Amino acid sequence: MTFDYDRSIRPDIAIAHRAYWQKLAKPGSWFTSAQRIAIAAASREAAGCEFCITRKRALSPYTLAGEHVSSVDLSATVVDAVHRVMTDQTRITQQFIENNGSELSVPAYVELVGVVVAMISIDEFHRGMGLPLETLPDPKPGEPSHYLPPQAEQGTGFVPMIPIDGATGLESDLWSPGRTANVVRALSLVPDAVRDWRELGDTQYLSFESMGNFDQPKGRSINRMQIELVAGRVSSINECFY
Amino acid sequence: MLRVSAQTTKTDINLQGIIGNEEAASIGILYGAELMRFAEALALGDDKALDLARQSLRDVAGETVLVDAAGVAANFQRMVRIADSVGIPVDDMQGELGQSVRQELSLHEFRSSENSQP
Repeated sequence: MTFDYDRSIRPDIAIAHRAYWQKLAKPGSWFTSAQRIAIAAASREAAGCEFCITRKRALSPYTLAGEHVSSVDLSATVVDAVHRVMTDQTRITQQFIENNGSELSVPAYVELVGVVVAMISIDEFHRGMGLPLETLPDPKPGEPSHYLPPQAEQGTGFVPMIPIDGATGLESDLWSPGRTANVVRALSLVPDAVRDWRELGDTQYLSFESMGNFDQPKGRSINRMQIELVAGRVSSINECFY
Repeated sequence: MLRVSAQTTKTDINLQGIIGNEEAASIGILYGAELMRFAEALALGDDKALDLARQSLRDVAGETVLVDAAGVAANFQRMVRIADSVGIPVDDMQGELGQSVRQELSLHEFRSSENSQP
């Protein structure tokens, strides 16, 4: 069984990680199963990529030429996007996202971000606990759906998103009316990426419903101040203004 | 969120713990220094420091605290990348509390603050 943690780790964490592994192995909106798993593998390779280390030190991240450490069957454009999200995300620009052409459309970029961030949350939990990384799943057959939520619109951030009052129809489960935030809407051009976001966040951090409650969170051994100290320190080191 | 949770519980804290001040992290927050060091080591990708910080947190607070802290830290390694990879602005730049926190921690020096400019 995957994510076969010992008893010290809350069962809901293993359930959420296992559920994501099953979704990772299915075709997405813009990538096949094999491509999604390759993106996941690329996210792991980014951590030790010499070119990423060099580029991170460079004044401009868009003028340096070089090759990423990569053993996956993905185009150089897709590998580069994965590595940027992993190692140099604060310098990603709208121009970069829009200039990847047919090799990486804007909706496909959003799905890529969704896979990379889900991977980082699971792998970083393992690293935090001192556990080995889980073996990636085997790909499943099928084709991407190419689904685009019709209500998505440009206007917040670099990519189109579902508007605050747009969680309707097939997207009515994404957030309750009026109860959302830009970080929730960020990946909504690929609605399943938001669903993945919520399921992992519910167990690793807090559920949407409990975020507004600043008392002791149910099922957690640390209080809200302890939680926010950890969250704040990680965000600060990553230089996240949001 | 840290300031709001402290206000809600009427606890005196020092936000400088967020930017790595160990003494400040301990004010009003149980295991604050150990939690801060653990989060820091994880986010910096420093495996040697992470081994030490993990053991230190485990020793003083126990395994369940370590598990919950690892979950939160891992979650925020993700959240920062969601925010910056698609360039979302802060939802409410005008809120008084947010403005004072950003000022106190000098967050406007971060490159990604450009995404929240009018």
